[in-house]
Amino acid sequence: MGFLQILTYLSGLVFVIGFAAKLLKYATMPMHVRWELYPIPHEGKEWGGSFYEEIDHWKKTRHIDHMAQYRFMVPEILFIRALHEDNRSLWYWSFPFHMGLYLCIGGLVFLGLGALVQIFGMAPENSALASLLQSLTTVFAVPGYILGTIGVVGLTVKRMTDSGLADVSAGIDFMNLIWLGLLFVTGFIVWLQDPGFLVSRAFFQSLITFGPMTEPMGAIHVVNLLLFIGFWAYFPFTHMTHMVSKYFMWDKVKWDDDPNKGDAGMDSKIKKYLAYPVTWAAAHVGAEGGKKNWADVATSNPWENKDQK
Amino acid sequence: MRPEEISKKTEQLVTINTEDLPPLPYPYENYEETPITPLKEEQKKKWEHSLDGVSALTLPKPETPEEEERLVKAFLSGLGKLMTKENNWTFLQPLMLSMEYCAKCQTCADACPAFEMSGRKDIYRPTFRADVVRKIAKKYLSKGGNILAHFRGHDIDLNWDTVARLAELSYRCTLCRRCASVCPVGVDNGLMNHELRKIFSQEMGIAGPEIHEKGSVKHLKFGSSTGMTTAAVADIIEYLEDDIEEKTGKKIKIPLNKKGAEILLIHNAGEFMAWPENPMAFAILFDAAGIDYTLSTELAGYDAVNYGLWYDDVQFARVALKHLEIARDLGVKKIVIGECGHAHKALSVIADRLLPGAQMIPRESSYTLLNEIVKSGKIKFDPSKNDFPVTLHDPCNVVRLMGIVKPQREVLNAIFPPGRFREMEPHGVENYCCGGGSGFAIMSSGNFPDWKRLVSGRKKLSQILNAFQGEMDPSIRKMVCAPCSNCKGQIRDMLESYEVFEKTGIWYTGMVELMVNAMVDQKKPFLEWPGDEDDDD
Repeated sequence: MGFLQILTYLSGLVFVIGFAAKLLKYATMPMHVRWELYPIPHEGKEWGGSFYEEIDHWKKTRHIDHMAQYRFMVPEILFIRALHEDNRSLWYWSFPFHMGLYLCIGGLVFLGLGALVQIFGMAPENSALASLLQSLTTVFAVPGYILGTIGVVGLTVKRMTDSGLADVSAGIDFMNLIWLGLLFVTGFIVWLQDPGFLVSRAFFQSLITFGPMTEPMGAIHVVNLLLFIGFWAYFPFTHMTHMVSKYFMWDKVKWDDDPNKGDAGMDSKIKKYLAYPVTWAAAHVGAEGGKKNWADVATSNPWENKDQK
Repeated sequence: MRPEEISKKTEQLVTINTEDLPPLPYPYENYEETPITPLKEEQKKKWEHSLDGVSALTLPKPETPEEEERLVKAFLSGLGKLMTKENNWTFLQPLMLSMEYCAKCQTCADACPAFEMSGRKDIYRPTFRADVVRKIAKKYLSKGGNILAHFRGHDIDLNWDTVARLAELSYRCTLCRRCASVCPVGVDNGLMNHELRKIFSQEMGIAGPEIHEKGSVKHLKFGSSTGMTTAAVADIIEYLEDDIEEKTGKKIKIPLNKKGAEILLIHNAGEFMAWPENPMAFAILFDAAGIDYTLSTELAGYDAVNYGLWYDDVQFARVALKHLEIARDLGVKKIVIGECGHAHKALSVIADRLLPGAQMIPRESSYTLLNEIVKSGKIKFDPSKNDFPVTLHDPCNVVRLMGIVKPQREVLNAIFPPGRFREMEPHGVENYCCGGGSGFAIMSSGNFPDWKRLVSGRKKLSQILNAFQGEMDPSIRKMVCAPCSNCKGQIRDMLESYEVFEKTGIWYTGMVELMVNAMVDQKKPFLEWPGDEDDDD
């Protein structure tokens, strides 16, 4: 096993641990008070309405329209609909950038599957399945490289020239874009040198079998791989993991309209939170430096029966 | 302007010039605006104003460097507490998601009426204040925050100027959350502002005087943020009964503290003082529909407001629990919230997870109940009595933040002749705030009213004028239906400042007043237009 393989395993490990830690961090935070924002797709009301529009709503069985939610989410995830509707000039660059990423990830999946079937003796030259996987790798990866590069160039220029964006951009934002841009460009050059992804598939195969590399890897390919390995390990620690925020912020905050009807799980959480000590220092809170808990401060009225007229 | 510039040592960071503001629609396209009144020299010496020359908080300047240092430390301590589950379980998850994931795409900026109507001043971008908070947290509260801080984009100086400007800046957002509704990654910069206000209030004891000392404190002390005591409210209700008899010829007894009633109706107490025709109209409609309800004269029981919603979780919880306790003691089956937007959101939604489920009392919007009354046919309406153009303002708290969109439209369509109701654009969940949200409608300290008039209310005034283009002749009376006390207050101030009724014939009212005006058995017009009393004379 070579140095590049070991680095790839380590990078994968960092990615998995970092990403899991991030998910865990948000998943284990306390249930917050409701802070939803309409329209909520699963309410199934195209005008943005909610169950509050119905008289005695708490006596009725709530209808959750899952299909409406999927109809909203799929175009949102694939085509970044929110940006298309509300920030079109940025969407022209953000969409190819994201679509480029999706396609490259798709290409990587087909590359991995191609390597897997190759381990079982099915190579593109002797297997229709392997040949199909090879074609799909190209069909996904190459447009991915091109779209991704267009997106990176456009976003970088826009971030530099639009004063609203330039004022909030830092070196790290440009570094992230350039890093991904180099990844796309070197990926494209690798493909030009190796149109059948023979070397890449061989590398993938060595990763799966813990075996040696059977094909020599060129310099630009090594650079491409190092850029990828580095980015993979770095990614979970950046705000670019916004698919995490999107899940939590949309599903668990903006669309969390579950009313409190005495569910045992919700009740036990509320009881636990009300026992948390409070250390807010303002005098009117009366927390006494943590001697009082939420139940104490919320049920106290420091002004009651004083100066009543 | 980069967010880091908030810490710059300068007399004033930004100036609002009237010539930078977007023009208003006809007939105001060449209107000569009155600029923001500069603070007097003695006020400038006393109050922090270095953000934009405006003082909403009348925040005193620290007298010594030691006091400055203490306040800066208190701010940092509060920011730290905001990020702990013990002190902020209520909002921790949404806050931390918004802290971490802004892609700085600025999509939210174009959705923000304050930013747009200020002439696009950077400090009012939803991301500006949120980014300042993020940068402070990263640099001063995270491990290794100083390493490559400039490259990582959080090299900000935390000094008293920064804290003071942030305090004022947290009162330049109406918390309408239009920014959050367009964010492609779900970041909620409105929430960030809400949380920022909490640091100032819960840790440092700094808040808008009208929403704290004269707001939630008065509410918990006297029973109402208007200062109306429990004894006074009963007297006022007697007057309302007399007025109802005078206006309708009906003797209606408004039920008070009736145990076992079906409904506890809670108004914004400001209605009793500023717009008594609103609780009167509710009484007339509920009486005619045979609704079994009661009002309460218990402490806080007659005032649905909950100013804590905007700035302080503890004050919020204290008031919300009082409302629920009163309803429980009366044994009502549900609470119905009158025409008060933030009371809707506070009691129906935010307070929903403050107590175990068995202790909760169902809460319902008056819009929904009123629509049900119309649909039931228990009251006969004659739309020809409301034969004038009408548009509808959607209060953010009820519409975008609660999803109550249709009932008020169904009511208006039932009580107006066909073709008389026109929508503002945009409307419904995409509406614009009245400009008085998050307490602004009642905040009048320093020279803040000028900022509200010129900036936060400008978009709504534009929308109102646009809704009636083509019929601006002042002899054509036109109405804005604004079913929320806070919104009515802001819209009243805007219409009066710009003399809109005199120039265009546009006036405002609530929804119930329009309903009573259209009742078949209402002999005299219930609605009053400016100058009507003079006509009677």
